[in-house]
Amino acid sequence: MTHRWTIIAENICRWLVGGVFLYAGAVKAGDVVAFAGDVANYQLFPYAVNFLIAAALPYIEMLAGALLVFNRRVRAAALVVGGLNLVFIVVLISALARGLDIDCGCFNSAGQGAATVVAALVRDVALMVPIVLISLLKKDDFRPG
Amino acid sequence: MNFIAGRKNILSSLNLRSLFREAALICLVGAALGLGVNQALVRDVLFGHEPIATVVPSESGGPAFPVAIEDVVRMLKSGAVAVDARAREFFAEGHLPGALSLSVGELDEALALFMEKVPLNTALIVYCSGYGCPDSEDVAMRLMSAGFSDVRIYEGGFPEWRDAGLPVETGGQP
Repeated sequence: MTHRWTIIAENICRWLVGGVFLYAGAVKAGDVVAFAGDVANYQLFPYAVNFLIAAALPYIEMLAGALLVFNRRVRAAALVVGGLNLVFIVVLISALARGLDIDCGCFNSAGQGAATVVAALVRDVALMVPIVLISLLKKDDFRPG
Repeated sequence: MNFIAGRKNILSSLNLRSLFREAALICLVGAALGLGVNQALVRDVLFGHEPIATVVPSESGGPAFPVAIEDVVRMLKSGAVAVDARAREFFAEGHLPGALSLSVGELDEALALFMEKVPLNTALIVYCSGYGCPDSEDVAMRLMSAGFSDVRIYEGGFPEWRDAGLPVETGGQP
């Protein structure tokens, strides 16, 4: 791939992944209590921990998403969203294995945009592709020496 | 050549370390921001509300007072009835011992039947799915309007009760 195409591909991946995380974080930050209910539906954490996750996670998503969109600390932000996405995939698989019929809580809470666990799992696995591409295509943010 | 390869290795390990450090920093700043913005909710969840011993029992027509988990345990032992304001399917999956289902979605039809079973002077503890869930307040207001004089709200709701390891009953209401 030529250098020009590499930059175009990297930009598209950044905007796509950054936009998705920025949007997902903003929607969840708008209704933390509803998101805590979604987290609680997975039946993985104690009561209070669901709320702590619901309070903190949307802002981590928004921060990492914004860094990707605005081309700042891209590899670190990609590492964060990649890590989060990996955690989401594991949690969704665990919900699937336990036969939980719940809204994934990925974007809206049990309203418009609610997705089943399987649909969310497919989407998260697909999202891993541009995330990995960003890490591979982006030149180092760090240039020591 | 070996020197150059060694130098490259050191640089890449330095880069990797910086990368993970920056990723951790993004997580920390994001989490601090989120917990800061939602500090009132976080405080409620971690420390709860004042226990019932420090508040006055509710009077008919007044607001329903919140009760802490330890007060719920004590009140249920002394004859109070728990009222589950969640949808019936959640009630069937698990509810507080002896609780009666009074789903906010079926309140109009279910309230008359509820009033046949429960005397007006019974102490009632209404709960739903935890902090911020509005159904318990809606149901509590309707119960007070219907004439029940001692209605409390258990804001921790079913999730807090279950996570505290307290006994849970399953199955629908007969």
